[in-house]
Amino acid sequence: MKVSFVLNGRNISYEIAPGEYLADTLRANHILSVKKACDEAACGACTVLLDGRPILSCSFLSARVEGRSVTTVEAVQDEVSEISDFFSDEGADQCGFCNTGLALTILALRNELKNPTDEEIKHFVVGNLCRCTGYQAQFKAIKRYLEAHK
Amino acid sequence: MEANRYLRPATLEEAHQLLLQDAKNILLGGGLWLKKSTSSANALIDLSALGLDQIKNTGDHIEVGAMVSLRDFEMSPLVKNIQGGILVSAVSQIMGVAFRNGATVGGSVAGKFPFSDLITPLLALDTTLIFYPKKELGLADFLNQKGRSSDILTHVVIKKSTGRAFFKKVKTTALDFAVINVAISRLNNEYRIAIGSRPSVAALAVKAMDTVNGMKALSDEQIAQAATLASEELLYASTNAASAEYRKALVRAYIKRGLEEVSK
Amino acid sequence: MKTKVVNHKTPSVHGKGIMMGRPSFTDDLAEPNSLIVKILRSPHAFARIKSIDVSKAKALTGVELVLTHHDVPRKSFTRAGQGYPEPSPHDKFILDEYVRYVGDEVACVAAINESIANQALKLIEVEYEILEPVLDFETAFEHKSIIHPEDGINEMFPIGFEPKKNVAASYHMHVGDVEATLAKCDVVIDETFYTQAQAHAMLEPHTANARLDYLNRLVIYTATQTPYHVRRIISQTLDLPISKIRVIKPRVGGGFGGKQALHGEFFVSLVTLKTKKPAKIIFSRQEVFESSYTRHPMRIRMRLGANKDGTLKAIDCYSLSDTGAYGEHALTVFMITGSKVLPLYNKVDAVRFGGRVVYTNHVSAGAYRGYGAIQGNFALESAIDVLAKKLNIDPLELRRKNMMGEGETSPIFSIMGEGTEGTAMDMDTCKLGYCLDRGAELIGWKDKYPFVQVGPHKVRSVGMAIAMQGSGIPYIDMAAATIKLNDDGFYNLTVGATEIGQGSDTVITQIVAEALMTTVDKVIIYSSDTDLTPFDVGAYASSTTYVSGNAALKAALKMKKMLIEEAAQYLNAKPEEVMFDGKEFRTEDKRLTLADMANKLYYNENQHQLSATESFVGHKSPPPFMAGYVEIELDTETGEYDILHYVSVVDCGVTINPMLAKGQVEGGIVQGLGMACFEDVKYSGRGKLNSNSFLYYKIPSMLDVKKLTTEFAESYEESGPYGAKSVGEIGIDTPPAAIANAVANATGVRINKLPVTPEKIFQGLNKK
Repeated sequence: MKVSFVLNGRNISYEIAPGEYLADTLRANHILSVKKACDEAACGACTVLLDGRPILSCSFLSARVEGRSVTTVEAVQDEVSEISDFFSDEGADQCGFCNTGLALTILALRNELKNPTDEEIKHFVVGNLCRCTGYQAQFKAIKRYLEAHK
Repeated sequence: MEANRYLRPATLEEAHQLLLQDAKNILLGGGLWLKKSTSSANALIDLSALGLDQIKNTGDHIEVGAMVSLRDFEMSPLVKNIQGGILVSAVSQIMGVAFRNGATVGGSVAGKFPFSDLITPLLALDTTLIFYPKKELGLADFLNQKGRSSDILTHVVIKKSTGRAFFKKVKTTALDFAVINVAISRLNNEYRIAIGSRPSVAALAVKAMDTVNGMKALSDEQIAQAATLASEELLYASTNAASAEYRKALVRAYIKRGLEEVSK
Repeated sequence: MKTKVVNHKTPSVHGKGIMMGRPSFTDDLAEPNSLIVKILRSPHAFARIKSIDVSKAKALTGVELVLTHHDVPRKSFTRAGQGYPEPSPHDKFILDEYVRYVGDEVACVAAINESIANQALKLIEVEYEILEPVLDFETAFEHKSIIHPEDGINEMFPIGFEPKKNVAASYHMHVGDVEATLAKCDVVIDETFYTQAQAHAMLEPHTANARLDYLNRLVIYTATQTPYHVRRIISQTLDLPISKIRVIKPRVGGGFGGKQALHGEFFVSLVTLKTKKPAKIIFSRQEVFESSYTRHPMRIRMRLGANKDGTLKAIDCYSLSDTGAYGEHALTVFMITGSKVLPLYNKVDAVRFGGRVVYTNHVSAGAYRGYGAIQGNFALESAIDVLAKKLNIDPLELRRKNMMGEGETSPIFSIMGEGTEGTAMDMDTCKLGYCLDRGAELIGWKDKYPFVQVGPHKVRSVGMAIAMQGSGIPYIDMAAATIKLNDDGFYNLTVGATEIGQGSDTVITQIVAEALMTTVDKVIIYSSDTDLTPFDVGAYASSTTYVSGNAALKAALKMKKMLIEEAAQYLNAKPEEVMFDGKEFRTEDKRLTLADMANKLYYNENQHQLSATESFVGHKSPPPFMAGYVEIELDTETGEYDILHYVSVVDCGVTINPMLAKGQVEGGIVQGLGMACFEDVKYSGRGKLNSNSFLYYKIPSMLDVKKLTTEFAESYEESGPYGAKSVGEIGIDTPPAAIANAVANATGVRINKLPVTPEKIFQGLNKK
């Protein structure tokens, strides 16, 4: 079957199987920033934005994005480049496998929460697991990024 | 996963007919953990086109469409106003934001997930479920129902109330399933005590409730007695997460603390 | 020593590109039309394949190849990524008649897409003779079920390999007479500890892909920590000359030791060689849990003897380690349990360490950050607190009195190496004393020890542990680096050193930039490609900064010398007369920029390519040290506890990259807290791993550790590049003992079995 939607600002149409999941569809179509780490909606690495809100693409049926808008980091390069500067500054740049999903989550956070507390920030990104950094450097980077965008 | 068709029916009648046609036709809630329980299906039935994604204020109640995401539910001021925000406090502890953007209220309730942090507080409130074809069922009755049904859950109706409430989810890490979860609500002097993830799905501790219902104030002894009853009247079992004994001890501790808090 | 690049805040060279989504990980670089390779895995913990019928699978349209144990070379090897000859037994065949754990490989399918590959797996018919599995490592020794009864397996040199007794390796050493010394002690404690089979849980699942290039050579892209070992082992096992194989390691999404062994490389290689088509394999998360590797679970008995005044006199450590179905890293992890833990208390009269590593029908255990040191540390540092309590001496005081100091040594260093004899060394740098005192200050030890009541059933307490690790394997680990000068005056730096997210590309670049007096943007690093980069053993044993960094430093210094000699010629001067500041050469009266000279060298005058290659092998393995302190808040009614604060004070020599070094410590601490508190491994009665998903195996999330404080001691290790030692593993070692000690301080309950769960604490509190 076909699914037609807006991908990174462009109208697109993909041939998919009814039971196919968005992460697989995107990766098969060379959107390689989308990572699969657990394939069971448990770790956040596959996060993409659907109509601006974070979803877990490994467990979201591709057919369900019909007529909607999907955003991956390929479409928000300047914003993500800026986030990466904050990450580097705090030493939060290690293996990077969780980073693309996390970057999109941070952009969604910036949109949704105005003046979040530390707890609210952590609560928003808690679904993005990281095994490398121990999270503190990530948190500091996120907090400073949000402060720079008040 | 393997599936032959994906369909988005335009009416509930159409959706219901599809469900009746084939046991391998599956209704999609959020569908997040579908591939964990089903390796192949015939038709995947998406209810997204049926306007079931709204939360309506119907005066005495709020009517939550089955396709409302857990995140929209959590962010709704209408939901927040119920019983001190207990539903928000509970649902916000389920996985992460991206997960809750995908998971639905209807999917979570209809799935009768034993570890559900939504069902337990709903059971401690006055909650009615609306199905298609037309049927209304209290949540407790629904949970007691055995077997599968081809009725489609369309709305979760919650009576508005502004009493006190308490919710506790015992877990290892922030993203864990509940080892046990406990919800207590008090309206005037009526108490409802619901305990879930026992490991089985939430149930009301009616004997415990009987000892405290109608009381204007609760003594320490009454609270302790209710807590002990709650830990004995329901079935608790051992799993990899915890032993039955430990679950009972947690229940005793948190029913006690919960009653202390709501009876203040 | 004042440096301009080293020990200065420097972003990683790869951070931006990866976050911006550039295709860079192994699966991002697979050939788009690769055959999909899937493995049929055993449902039984121990069985023999009586018959296997793949005809239906082969007949399925879209299936290109099906391999069983009848179709693959029969040559035993070890999957462990270690130097040759490996200290791990050669006890694995690509596919075998026996399956030895639930998840073991039975057959391999290659198909045009994933759906067909999965269907084909279901069409393979296997008849198993189910054998009695060995599921308890405490009964594995001489069990009537022999897990490796087959011919053709062997040790590469004596490691105590006795497969007929289910023993993969064994080891014993002693200094002095432990029994006699213990007998004379005023106080002896005897405690037994259990550690679990922690999962690495790195975010990127194991993956590899293979293709034939236009030279008809086998090119393997793999998420590995050891590309050169992969190349050698594939060559030896598939009987293909090493010259016909190229292994490329792209960006890796975390390893922690879990990728210090081969995983899918055999299968994609065989499929590509037989079909001539590109092939790829990606482990599902379940396969990563069930069918890759775990930490070695251990039982460790620790006896400590001391005098009333707190002088530690003897340590007796006896350990049993479970290596699971295959013996990767069996002996070496086991030895590190002693060699990188016991020297912490170097002033004892007698010390003994020994035991065995047994096979079981569990998931194969392998390399994992800490590599035995975390297991041994849990036992020793818990035991020290037990001893302190019995002696009625403050636990910090007991450690101060007995622990390793700068300039000291331990006889254990010369006795215990990595599989073989060790290397004697003095602790030229050891700031443990400072670390211990500073850590106590930062956590607020004196106001909080042992505990403070903060509510009707809430207490806050503190606990701590000290630790050491190593920096590479002396006389065995070799690293090399090549630096090439380009027109315009920038450098290409090629190293075998294996970046897996720990920052080695960046750190090594910084070392070279420092030595060549330039900036990191002028040094372009490329690593871990067996055709293009010089040799390196790979990322393990905390070796990339110390061993690979030293090689890069040598190469840079050689390049600098060459540059000055060239400039001297151009400037008609003697090399001693030439001043170089990284950008320009000057004599008294002449100048020449590096850029100009580089261009001349390419195009105009006396043209030749300046290139410098150097290697390094360490003659010592200077340990990093640390003190770890934790503050917890514990509910005495339920046993639940929160981790409020973890303080780490680390002596890793100079931090080449201070922020990335901090990241290594903090990542290690949180991973260690996972093992200490949350990560529970559960098997079913029939040997299936039940904790085989992130939904059931809980790794820490951002909300689970409230605060981390990390500081580094002032320390300069002469033998290290710019004074550095290592920092990759040390962070993981202290949390288990620190947590167990904090819980004991809070409640009096001593938990000796990891993880330290609320239920265990509750049971302990209610036993009294």
